[in-house]
Amino acid sequence: MPSPSRGSPITPTFSVGARRGSLRRLLPWVARHKGWVGYSLLAFAGARLLEASVPLFLAEAIDLLAAGNWDVRGPVLGIAGAVLARLFVVSSARVAIRRAAVNVAFDLRRALFDRLQRQGLAFFGRHTVGDMMTRAVSDIGVVRRLVSVGTIFLVILTYATTIGFAAMFYLAPELAWMVFPPLPVIAVYALFAARSMRAASEATQATLGHVTERAQETFGGIRTLQAMAREPFVEARFREANDAYRAAFLHQARINSLMTAIMPSLAAVGTLIVLGYGGALVQAGALTPGKLVAFFAYVAMVIQPMRSAGTLVNMVQRGRVSAERLFDILDLPDEIDDQGARGGESGSAAPPVAGALAFQNVTARYGATRAAALSNLTLHIKPGEVIAIMGPVGAGKSTLLALLPRLLDPDAGQLTLDNTPLPAWSLGALRRAIALVPQDAFLFADDLGANLSYDDPEREEALILDAAEAAAFRQTVDRLPDGLDTRVGERGLTLSGGQRQRATLTRGLVRQAPVLLLDDCFAAVDTHTEAQILDGLFKARAGKTTLFVTHRSATAQRADRIIVLEDGLLRAAGTHEKLLAQGGWYARLAKRQGTA
Amino acid sequence: MSGRPAPPPAFEDALTGQRVDFGLLRRLLGWLKPEGRPLALSGLLVLVTAFFQVILPVILSVVVIDHLLLGERNPAAPDLGLIALTEHLAAVTGLSPLILACALYAVCQLAIGFAGHGHRMLLIGAVVAALARLREAVFQKLLRQPAAFWDKVSVGRVTTRVTNDVEALYELLRSLGTFLGEFVPFFVALGIMLTADVPLTLALLAFAPLLGGLSLAFRRAMRAVYRRARESLSWLNQQMQENLAGLSVVQLYGRERENLARYQETNGQNRRDETRALALETLYGALTDSLSNLALALTLFLGARALGAEPSTVTLGTVVLFTRYIDLLFQPLAALGEQYNLLFRAMASGERIFQALDWPRLHEEPASPAALPPRLVGGLTFKDLRFAYDPATPILKGLSFTVAPRSTLAIVGPTGSGKSTLIRLLSRLYPVTPGQLFIDGVDVTAIHSRELRKRIGVVLQDFHVFAGTVLDNITLGDPAITREAAEAAAATVGADAFIEALPEGFDTVLAERGRNLSQGQRQLLAFARVLATDPEILVLDEATASIDSETEAAIQTALKRLRTDRTTVIIAHRLATIVDADQVLVLVNGEQEALGPLDTVLAASPTYARMHRLQFEEPALEGGDLEGEA
Repeated sequence: MPSPSRGSPITPTFSVGARRGSLRRLLPWVARHKGWVGYSLLAFAGARLLEASVPLFLAEAIDLLAAGNWDVRGPVLGIAGAVLARLFVVSSARVAIRRAAVNVAFDLRRALFDRLQRQGLAFFGRHTVGDMMTRAVSDIGVVRRLVSVGTIFLVILTYATTIGFAAMFYLAPELAWMVFPPLPVIAVYALFAARSMRAASEATQATLGHVTERAQETFGGIRTLQAMAREPFVEARFREANDAYRAAFLHQARINSLMTAIMPSLAAVGTLIVLGYGGALVQAGALTPGKLVAFFAYVAMVIQPMRSAGTLVNMVQRGRVSAERLFDILDLPDEIDDQGARGGESGSAAPPVAGALAFQNVTARYGATRAAALSNLTLHIKPGEVIAIMGPVGAGKSTLLALLPRLLDPDAGQLTLDNTPLPAWSLGALRRAIALVPQDAFLFADDLGANLSYDDPEREEALILDAAEAAAFRQTVDRLPDGLDTRVGERGLTLSGGQRQRATLTRGLVRQAPVLLLDDCFAAVDTHTEAQILDGLFKARAGKTTLFVTHRSATAQRADRIIVLEDGLLRAAGTHEKLLAQGGWYARLAKRQGTA
Repeated sequence: MSGRPAPPPAFEDALTGQRVDFGLLRRLLGWLKPEGRPLALSGLLVLVTAFFQVILPVILSVVVIDHLLLGERNPAAPDLGLIALTEHLAAVTGLSPLILACALYAVCQLAIGFAGHGHRMLLIGAVVAALARLREAVFQKLLRQPAAFWDKVSVGRVTTRVTNDVEALYELLRSLGTFLGEFVPFFVALGIMLTADVPLTLALLAFAPLLGGLSLAFRRAMRAVYRRARESLSWLNQQMQENLAGLSVVQLYGRERENLARYQETNGQNRRDETRALALETLYGALTDSLSNLALALTLFLGARALGAEPSTVTLGTVVLFTRYIDLLFQPLAALGEQYNLLFRAMASGERIFQALDWPRLHEEPASPAALPPRLVGGLTFKDLRFAYDPATPILKGLSFTVAPRSTLAIVGPTGSGKSTLIRLLSRLYPVTPGQLFIDGVDVTAIHSRELRKRIGVVLQDFHVFAGTVLDNITLGDPAITREAAEAAAATVGADAFIEALPEGFDTVLAERGRNLSQGQRQLLAFARVLATDPEILVLDEATASIDSETEAAIQTALKRLRTDRTTVIIAHRLATIVDADQVLVLVNGEQEALGPLDTVLAASPTYARMHRLQFEEPALEGGDLEGEA
């Protein structure tokens, strides 16, 4: 397999240890639909009994014929009746169990969505969205199949074996004993084959994953490849992955095909015993020909489900792993607790927020095992102050901002808004008071208007357009084919990076929050537009607290105070002139940018 | 940059495969042609398998039941010489005929197993080989699509063509083969049944259209239902994905409850769709099972009547034979519906794949490419250069200037002024009109693009990391670049220090998309990658993102070294770069606002003057006049 460094795309990131409880923990989820499940278990038993009656009628008919009695209407009607009755019973049984499975999937999806919405930056610092999507799509799918198909297999295996043997012992006990010896062989082979099938299918999936990765990396880097005329580089790599996939696929097909060849041959052993020994019994007059034919049917009834025993075991194993991966998420506590009362739920009756912020010895990290993104930060910001935050990449600027609306809670230390610790605010009120415009200009696949007024779908259009004006986005909106009703994002209109950034800025400004946090929102906007936006912004926000991250010292100079972070530490704070005089990172930057 | 045009209709998923296109099918089968021999052998093995499949019931009914157990014989029912064979073997070996009949049964069973295995493996091998070739052809085709194509499509959707769409064809081709494998025994069994008893066979055949029609009708109904279920599921997943990708925004804007409600709406819709689909599917499955049992009842009933008739035309064994053939007869009919569905599903994929293979080569190469000297001098001439992606909105509106060999041209201008387009035209990533762009006096349209791109090294803003080591990423697998040359290139741009600090130096495997590299390190690697090819002309789109001062200094040093001894064109964002340039071109709306040394441009170009002020001067200077301009 090529490039051992890259694992299969579906690698569970949590412990894959054999936590046996996970299947049992699925039970309550299934039990919620116990009506469907219970009915289906009963109905399957009935269906099996009806099915088992067919060979008996067949035997009766053949024996009548063998005896020279040509009136077989009785058994024929019996077969027809049994078949029709079984049709309804078995259909309803299958529908019932599948409905239960669909319902379990429905419940799990809702729970997963809800649980994931309560995770935050720390969680997604450790896990990818792709991993979560795998859980939502494949793992729930596996559990659903386990509940429906797994139950059906199990039920068939149990009922068919019991009823089949009961019928065989009823017909001819001495012959029935002869059917047992090949069964363990079949079961063992089924398990063995299932295991190698599973390994082969994982290898196939992994190699297909490589093909996809190769294609993605090629098309993602197509500009580099074409500009440098290095197409041959990826051609060879793709061919290698493609060939590996083909080999793995063939290997899997071979195992599968061999199983298809060997299983009936093993099953034929049972048939042969019945044919040979049973034939001799018929010759000796100890068994009727009809019973012999019926016996064949029962042997098939018993052996058929044995073949799928391996598949059942695989399904249970996969189901356990998937259930475990789902419970790993479902068991998570809310990342940010919402116990605070200040500000209330609706916020309508709440007193106005002044916008005083304080950091008291704050240390923050994304996950307990990570290095601190911010260490022992103490900072007081007066209401109405404008603060620029600067520093090299990875200095902790975004972390500082993320702490304020509690996208992340600190490891140590305390933050306050208007002298009330943040956790004492209700989360809703806090986030209404502090509007953060993140660095990543993310738009949802929806109308532009819905995106711009994301917190309040009912907001008046005039207010939205005012905010767009302030973010220098109004012109773009006006020029769009359907204005605010233009669909953006996936399958909608593609906005340029600068347009997206101004859209997200609009989304933040429209809230007119007492505290505004801008996380490097001008990187994709040219300097002229940036200056224009800031002019309007500072004028409109006079007296309101504003914090912004920037890389341009010319922009930073417009703040009342500049904060310089380096390696998660507060290195300097003060006005442009003061920082220049101090020397250090800021002075070097300003010099390089020509503002010193 | 703004308002990228929508994807070309040629790439929309509007192709639904609503009808079966035999031309498409023929074309698809054409890809199997090189596998003719294994396919023929596979077909032969189908016949062998079918033969033994048909024999098994004959042994059971004609040989064992009629001959050995009841001592009867239906003269019409063919025994295929099996009775004689059994008796002969019994005479030779002295064993009981019953045991020998069992042995024959076992042999047939094994033969079915292994001939079937051979048939399947040959068939699958052929199909998989054909599809691997098809996949590679699509990949090759895509790899050579011009830049304008890649501007409009998403990488994910294109990747799907190479993977999922080709995958979908597997099911079709494989099942076509299997289908044949099932129809051969159908006809052989039918032949034997007809010789054994015509009326009974005809009565059974009456079920065939019923089963076939039922199967088709159900599958057709199911197709629509399943499509709805698939659509609601995909919408469901998309909602989840989007909510997670934008989770911070969701939380900041307090939208959790609303979004959960919306998700639940789709979740409920999907549950309704799934329930409908499974009900239909279940009913269909149960119906087909029951039909073969109903046929069994009918066989018995009619068989009994035939047995009772005077004179009796059939034997008990014949009736049993018929009951055993029911599955051989009905299985392929039941599979008909499944085939039909596969065919439809594959049609859509096939259509998408062949559409991709049929895309015209938009990129024209000269019929007889100009031969370039081993080393170019590197003079560039632009003669009224014009360009438009779409005729209604011209991007470059007639640029005329020259760049002296080994000099540096810095291009500045606001977003959307055509800077990126200009440098892409240099290496003909977009089609150039002849007579507008010359290198050392040679029209670029007369140079083969591959040759041209070897001479022009383009450093893109973002350094794309390919899976592999640092070294792989510098050489991009170019055999002409030795390890020493790659290391020297890295050293020249000052990337050697951080590379050697990596755990395995140049052999360190870079993490997915270069997550373990900083912005500055990526920039230096991008320089090294281009320098390693030693191009005569260097084209650079300077990264806009800000980086710390140390890296910034390293990059400026590297850039100076890169520029020695070659012509350089830079889209410049940094003052240091602009100051070092021999000429500065100010591009506004695709037109040249000013060109010349920095001092001249500063005086002549209002755009540059404003940019300069905003970026490099004290804010006190900018206050007043900005208001006027805004």
